[in-house]
Amino acid sequence: MHNEQPKILFAYSPELDSDFLKDLYGEDLQQAEMVFESSVQQLRNELVLAGARFHDGDTAGLKKVVHKMKPLFGYIGLNEIIPEFAAFEEVCMKATHISEAEKGFNDITTITEQAIQKIEKEIRRLKQFNTQYL
Amino acid sequence: MKYQSIIVEDLQVAADFLKRFCEKSGVVDVVHHFLNAEDALLFLKDNVVDLIFLDVEMPGASGFELLDQLLYTPQVILTTSKTEYAYSAFQYNVTDYLKKPFTYQRFLEAIQKVSKKTEQQNGNSDQDHMFIKSDGKLIRLHNDDILFIESMGDYVKFITPVKKYITHNTIKNLETKVNPQVFMKVHRSYIVNFTKINDIQENVLFINGNMIPISKTHKSGVMQKINIL
Repeated sequence: MHNEQPKILFAYSPELDSDFLKDLYGEDLQQAEMVFESSVQQLRNELVLAGARFHDGDTAGLKKVVHKMKPLFGYIGLNEIIPEFAAFEEVCMKATHISEAEKGFNDITTITEQAIQKIEKEIRRLKQFNTQYL
Repeated sequence: MKYQSIIVEDLQVAADFLKRFCEKSGVVDVVHHFLNAEDALLFLKDNVVDLIFLDVEMPGASGFELLDQLLYTPQVILTTSKTEYAYSAFQYNVTDYLKKPFTYQRFLEAIQKVSKKTEQQNGNSDQDHMFIKSDGKLIRLHNDDILFIESMGDYVKFITPVKKYITHNTIKNLETKVNPQVFMKVHRSYIVNFTKINDIQENVLFINGNMIPISKTHKSGVMQKINIL
């Protein structure tokens, strides 16, 4: 009789869009780990840049940074954040003074920091899984 | 066959994601990744690739602006976060359009399209003639009879030594369909049969007494193609 080892599946955290992530990465959890790590790194870098643009009062520059951050959430199963970033891009585009973008800037900063925390936790889980089973 | 490709993408994460799929497929080699269209164009001036994975919105020139300036026509897979470029993608006759982030399955489907198109192009390259629809008839034109093809908006004019044929088509579309061993685009409005060129002066070439402009972007391609002793 064929005695096959049961396949151990990784379960993404419920705070992420796990069905979407399963579809996106399939069984390639090393790719998921790699992309999550580089996404977090880039989000951190862009957040610093966004802060600098905000403090310079540069709404056009801020919009560019936010535009670059937006698609990163698509790679880490946080798609619901994307429309909020798109809305903030609109705010930046229409703003005549940086003060009009202040609330939005604070919101996207908080959202990004929370996202980074969630993804860092997921990276730890992925690392543990990948080391253990692959 | 392994496709030699480049990735033009300003988001490093997206490029890494795509590179991994290329590696996994075993049929796509990524020879370079460029963060902007300008650097990619410089590379493409001196290098030939089979396939470009091209983002649309990038700092500086857009993906479509890159396509406007290309001297030859490799296959192109557009990779973008937005669906609103679908119509332009169709106009530029790209092989496929991937909305980021895409799955490995969807990536493989795009590569299958590249493979099919390659087969079609290889089949076409041996052709010594083409059929065009003009005056309600399908007319067979031998490559050797065609001097050049001129754009007239949504129509093109096939010029032969004895007759002109007008047909509903575009230079952009014909560019991928004519035999590249005989024809080349020298200007956004002209494709010429380069075996028919009589002489070239600065940015103009002459075929059978017809003066045809050579655009700046196509000049070096023309000079590479002709046999200068």
